Amino acid sequence: MNMLFFRSEEALDEWLASHKAERGAVFSIQQLWELSQRWYQDRMSPEYHGRTVKQVQEIFKELGLTSTFWQI
Amino acid sequence: MDEDTLWEIRAFVYQHFAETARPPGVDEIPRRFALTHAEAVSAFEELHQRHALYLQPGTHAILMANPFSGVETPFRVRANGRTYFANCAWDSLGIPAALHADAEVEAACAQSGEPIRLSVTDGQVRKAEALAHFLIPFRHWYNDLPLT
Repeated sequence: MNMLFFRSEEALDEWLASHKAERGAVFSIQQLWELSQRWYQDRMSPEYHGRTVKQVQEIFKELGLTSTFWQI
Repeated sequence: MDEDTLWEIRAFVYQHFAETARPPGVDEIPRRFALTHAEAVSAFEELHQRHALYLQPGTHAILMANPFSGVETPFRVRANGRTYFANCAWDSLGIPAALHADAEVEAACAQSGEPIRLSVTDGQVRKAEALAHFLIPFRHWYNDLPLT
């Protein structure tokens, strides 16, 4: 429900209208890939023990995700 | 349980997902880590509390260890000769990112149901007529994770 694919902006608009939902954050596939790489690149490492709020904020900042949508 | 063992169990869960595309059962933990069944259950619960993995409500079965899903979903990812299931649009690209592997993603438009196929090769994603929408602001993501 939260993170879904759509074929087009029109399809997204129709979905938002039918679900009476407000538009959230929209990513191109390239942007989603960059976010995925940054977020998950170290996930298989035995050294990965989760992230602090500060680390998460740093990642969002690096990727230019600075709107209220991304604030913690 | 000491912290090292807890995080070794977490690493085992992820390795199990990578190698089999499925989560390990809690019953697989005691022998591997020389723990009792109760200690293994406690470890899964602790990792759940720390958002390191997510259990199916009322059970000790792993529902999610992001980006991997323990159950079939509409987000199918083929990589390393296996078929994985992702939890959402983001996680469908999260699997090749986590595995550092080429992948083919099969999903669908949430509105029309039209197929959406994505391809990752040599660290690059192929252009596609598709977009991803995140509905819920980040501060609410962990309120009810399976809904995200």
